[in-house]
Amino acid sequence: MTTVVALYNIKGGVGKTSAAVNLGWTAAEQGARVLLWDLDPQGAASYLLRIKPKVRGGGSKLVRGKSDPAALLKGSDHERLDLLPADFSYRNMDLVLDATKRPRRGLRRVITPLAADYDYVFLDCPPAISLASESIFATADVLLVPLIPTPLSIRTYRQLRSFVADEVPKPRPRILAFFSMADGRKTLHRSIMEELRAEADGVLATAIPAASDVEKMALQRRALAEFAPRGVAAKAYGTLWDEVRTGL
Amino acid sequence: MSGSRARRDRLRGRAGRLQGMDARGTQLLLPDDLSASGAADRLAGLVPVVTQAAHSIDRTFWDTFDGRLHAAGLALADAGNRLVLMDATTYSEQASGEHVRGARRLLLVDLPAGALRAALAPILEMRALTPIARVRSRLLPVNVLDDVGKIVVRLRAEEPTALPGAKAKLALRPRLHVIAVRGYDTEFDLVLALLTGELRLEAAPRPVLDDAVEAIGGAIGGTSSKLRVALDPADRADAAAVTILRRLLAIIESNLPGTLADVDSEFLHDLRVAVRRSRALQRELRGVFAPEPLRAFRDGFRELQAVTGATRDLDVQLLEFGELAAGLGDGAAADVAPLRRLLELRLVAERNKMVGALRSRRTRALLDNWGDFLDGLVLATEVDRPDAARPVADVAAERIGKVYLRMVKMGQAIDDDSPHEALHDLRKKGKELRYLLEFFSSLYPPDVVKPMVATLKGLQDVLGRFQDREVQADLLRALGDDIAAMEGGAAALMAMGVLVERLTEQQEQARAEFAQSFEQFAAKPQRKVVAKTFG
Repeated sequence: MTTVVALYNIKGGVGKTSAAVNLGWTAAEQGARVLLWDLDPQGAASYLLRIKPKVRGGGSKLVRGKSDPAALLKGSDHERLDLLPADFSYRNMDLVLDATKRPRRGLRRVITPLAADYDYVFLDCPPAISLASESIFATADVLLVPLIPTPLSIRTYRQLRSFVADEVPKPRPRILAFFSMADGRKTLHRSIMEELRAEADGVLATAIPAASDVEKMALQRRALAEFAPRGVAAKAYGTLWDEVRTGL
Repeated sequence: MSGSRARRDRLRGRAGRLQGMDARGTQLLLPDDLSASGAADRLAGLVPVVTQAAHSIDRTFWDTFDGRLHAAGLALADAGNRLVLMDATTYSEQASGEHVRGARRLLLVDLPAGALRAALAPILEMRALTPIARVRSRLLPVNVLDDVGKIVVRLRAEEPTALPGAKAKLALRPRLHVIAVRGYDTEFDLVLALLTGELRLEAAPRPVLDDAVEAIGGAIGGTSSKLRVALDPADRADAAAVTILRRLLAIIESNLPGTLADVDSEFLHDLRVAVRRSRALQRELRGVFAPEPLRAFRDGFRELQAVTGATRDLDVQLLEFGELAAGLGDGAAADVAPLRRLLELRLVAERNKMVGALRSRRTRALLDNWGDFLDGLVLATEVDRPDAARPVADVAAERIGKVYLRMVKMGQAIDDDSPHEALHDLRKKGKELRYLLEFFSSLYPPDVVKPMVATLKGLQDVLGRFQDREVQADLLRALGDDIAAMEGGAAALMAMGVLVERLTEQQEQARAEFAQSFEQFAAKPQRKVVAKTFG
């Protein structure tokens, strides 16, 4: 049984890609077979894994079922972690999906033939709420939402929960949130985290700290477990994955 | 595609999940004058590589007695507390699960639920895994990088040693595993070309595990219980009989230890099939044996068949128990738990009796004397052995033709009012014909034999179901009194009533299918072809 985990937030720059790469790596390290699909046309996850953000035939052929997704996969530096790379054409994903018969099923069409080979599929999603997002909601078992503990970020999270509850047809994905880029020295961060954990279901106990190791990933182009395995951030991702996995 | 490759792919196909993450890979032998680190150094002069720290790993490899994992190109190893299923050539991991330390035998139910069990289920079926070799390897990982430092080909230099005992060590041929990274096939081809061209490394003919199994005196690929004998139509009939019976005796002997140790139910099954086949040949080719010694051996083999029968019946009952109980629905399935316990108790008792009989001097003497008898048969006097020197193709054709015609007559005499025994007798005769075809089909044209086997198989399936359901229902009825006396017996008894009813329905269904399957078996065109080919 494959579980599809979408790293999703309407906002950008909240730590989706870092989480997708580090959680995917951690799951692979623990013995799971993992696929990461870099859906963001910026291709940051592909970049971090040192894989060219290019898909033969582009996103259009892929979601229309005209490309064999298995032939487009790239192995990462971890034996059990594969990547379906980003492609700049993903910027037009909404248009491409809109042109298909069942736009909401577009992403599922790509994943289904691959699913038997993986225990987990991580989707690194672009920031937006669009037709592509609806296809993500129809595909994912879990929306894993990184939240920076700021008032605006919390507002967007509430918007997302309302949208999924009101607008997304069943079966709806489960929503789990975790705090990202959290700074324990800031009173505001601490109070917002406490408030939201008390108020909303599905807010995980583990927070990913704002650590320089995470920023160094872009220089190293590696998962944290490869170059800073004992750092607080790497450990936090490990704990977060344990919490997510247990929740699943 | 070669036959063995096709078989491997078929087995893997049955295991569904095992295809996707397979990496391309190969193994190259490292010559005596090139160490693992030497190979890494030489490669570093040709492409960018990064060498990681060498480490040692102790692995115990597991497989079934008949080598099912080997046939699928897979290897299962335990290293510490994990069992890892991997590609035998590339060592790429397919699935893993927790390992029960200290276990000497693993059935599917002993494995933790999850990916490993799911991957192994269609391959193992009812067979048990046992340790087949222990190997200590010093591994030196070397990765080939592209221009941004990404791993594009994985190399693993391996210096393996087989560990047959507590202190013994047998050095095996060192080798280099070359493993493709998905999506980087061009780089794999390039590196492979460098290794075979510049470094002149040659492909390893087989995986490390095969070297280890051979070094410790095991059978590479396990021990098959398939007949597989090659005969020539002009062979003397007695020589051909000896060839077949010798092979059957070897199958009996090879399955005897596993039967005694109760490793899994297939040892007894294969042993009994070999005994039954031996008896069929003793009976059908009786003209190649002198009557008196043959009589004694036939009695001995009949006894061997009889002492193993009750255990096998209970094995079958328990193997099919889950499926049978599941058909009852959740509540009733729980009700039959006392029945299962009783069957298990009976099995223990019957098995003890069987093991005593199989361990007896009498059984040992029977098998030893039978082997000696076969060794001397061809040179023995031909007085009282009228078929001994005739070409086997003639003798076998006579028997196949006669048994077929006998079956046609027996089947034509069966109508709706015929007693059950008439169908049981026809099934026994059908087994006889099936064995004759298995022994001798290679001597005759496939376009004659194949349709004959196909229609016979269809008929035997129906007759088999008819008889098996009766045996199962009789067994359940016989257990009624004992079940009633057990805790929870009343509910179990009611559930058993449903089971018996269901078995009876299935038996009736089989009987209803008999006429059609017999008609195909005995169709006029087929009768003509059989008469023409087998006289």
